[in-house]
Amino acid sequence: MNKSEFYIGWMPKAPGGFRRLVRKYLLVLLPIVVALAVAIALSQKKFDTGSFEFGKLTEVKGIYSRTPVPNLKIVNGKDIWGNYSYITVPLIGYGKHGADGVIAEMEKDKNKSFEQRQLTLKGTLLYNDGKLLMQIDANDKPLVNVGDMASQDLLPHVEDLGIQTIKGEIVDPKCYFGVMKPGQGKPHRDCAIRCILGGIPPVMQVRNNKGEANYYLIVGSSGEKMNEAVQDFVAEPTELQARVVKYDDWVVMYVNKEKMHHISFFSLIGYDTQPATCGKKCLN
Amino acid sequence: MGTSYQAVGWNRQKKIYDWFIFGFCVTYLGIFISLSSIFNSQVTFETLLIRSTSTLAALLLHVILSIGPLTRINTKFLPLLYNRRHLGVTMFMIAAIHGSFSIMQFHSLGNVNPLVSLFTSNTRFDSLPGFPFQALGFFALVIFFLMAITSHDFWLHNLSPKVWKTLHMFVYAAYFLVVLHVMLGVIQFETNPMFVIILLIGTAILIILHLAAGTKEVHIDNVKFDMETDGFVKVCDVNDIEEDKAKMFCIGKERIAVYKTQGKLFAVNNVCKHQNGPLGEGKVLDGCITCPWHGYQYLPHNGQSPPPFKEKVSTYDVMIGGVTVWVNPKPYPEGTERPGATIAIPRPVDEKISESLILNN
Repeated sequence: MNKSEFYIGWMPKAPGGFRRLVRKYLLVLLPIVVALAVAIALSQKKFDTGSFEFGKLTEVKGIYSRTPVPNLKIVNGKDIWGNYSYITVPLIGYGKHGADGVIAEMEKDKNKSFEQRQLTLKGTLLYNDGKLLMQIDANDKPLVNVGDMASQDLLPHVEDLGIQTIKGEIVDPKCYFGVMKPGQGKPHRDCAIRCILGGIPPVMQVRNNKGEANYYLIVGSSGEKMNEAVQDFVAEPTELQARVVKYDDWVVMYVNKEKMHHISFFSLIGYDTQPATCGKKCLN
Repeated sequence: MGTSYQAVGWNRQKKIYDWFIFGFCVTYLGIFISLSSIFNSQVTFETLLIRSTSTLAALLLHVILSIGPLTRINTKFLPLLYNRRHLGVTMFMIAAIHGSFSIMQFHSLGNVNPLVSLFTSNTRFDSLPGFPFQALGFFALVIFFLMAITSHDFWLHNLSPKVWKTLHMFVYAAYFLVVLHVMLGVIQFETNPMFVIILLIGTAILIILHLAAGTKEVHIDNVKFDMETDGFVKVCDVNDIEEDKAKMFCIGKERIAVYKTQGKLFAVNNVCKHQNGPLGEGKVLDGCITCPWHGYQYLPHNGQSPPPFKEKVSTYDVMIGGVTVWVNPKPYPEGTERPGATIAIPRPVDEKISESLILNN
């Protein structure tokens, strides 16, 4: 390098010594940039296989119930033993809102309660890990038909599983089951809180030591909404004590607010409780 | 330097610089998006956008913060420094895509305004693992925004160099916020240690570079000047200073550059009025002391930028005793003309001999 060289940025060309060093710097920087792009891209956790059928509306017919959360029980004939084959589809609203407002508007419009009636609704499906949910948006005019009251044998089969203590992570089911990836954990925490505060029912995700996940709808001890009460617990390792009740293919936890606790991340490792196993067993 | 403000005073070097920024950004984004899509096929467009821009912005921030100390260690890196603001604005724009899209993704379509949601959703300020990391990223973005919109020389002159420099030093606060944003955010979700390792290496490199550059500065600052005569301090030998160049001294609180040019020595304040660049590392070009950082110029005898420019630096008295250079560290008001010190030219030996012969005869 020539020591007398002097660089001025407003001149058209840098002196040779400066050009050579900068060229070397760029030659070192380029593989670093490439290596970082490769390393970071390949180190990301794998995303779930959940789907949100964005832009696609599907009509579904089922029995509406507002408890424990607004849902539609879709019956698809009977199996070889004569039992009804069904799936319960929790309903959620557009954006970060629950479905209660849309349902209430439709009931007001039709001047009748939809409880335990056959409804045909049009909405956007989202699904993952054996669970199906449907978004209904007032702009899509989701109500296709209001039918008769459902027969008694089609109403939810309820089974009390007793008081249980469960450890897991509270998620918002809309993002978790399809809209966002990742739809859980710290990066998604604010969104999950906003969704739950907007009326989307909170769900406890519990993993057993085989890595299988079970999902529990969360409501208050008397069936009231728990959306605001869980705000500080969303997306964090949480332990709660609840009365666990099976509603067909969903398990609901009636949670006492005083029995919710933050726990350390490590206490979830190797966790395999009876309710988690039961949850899997409950999915007939 | 320019007599009027332009959005960008384009020249060949700036264009080359910007093309390299563009090339590196496209390379990074191309590789990241391609590999994520291929090997993590369930990824959504939104997540790709948020993650590719966040990691690229963090990478650019590390490059930006490394340029300063690199130029202090080796001035041949100056071409990287000259257009660093282009890199800074690029980094801000990429970070802004990340930030605005994250706010849309995580906070819009809810029951409150997205910005209200940003500060009221997660309120676990009392918990380190639960801490609302998104707010940290937001404040870092605000700092980058203020830096980006004031990056033009128009703001430098109107805010004053001191205020401008202070504002732009907040980049270190922003970097700290970014590190916390990452550590308390995505790193708590990802299980691969690669993310922590990369972040720690990046931070370690910046700390080492800054310490190395700082050590060099401290070495200059810690030189002791003991011999004082009538306020003058002995600083060096005349022959220690190259023609049209300077030596720098820190005497008390004064940073002084002593330039040798056209048979004289002149002392001016070492801190350029533009961005506090080290004038003593510059050179006399076309009769003007020229700052190595951005080419701002000052006349050696009065510290004034040549008309029509208006920048001024302080001047100092300098004198030569034999071959020893003495400087009075008491500054004159900025732009005050000083005569400098004339360097006595030693006469050739044969001239002295003939003179002696004449006298003897």
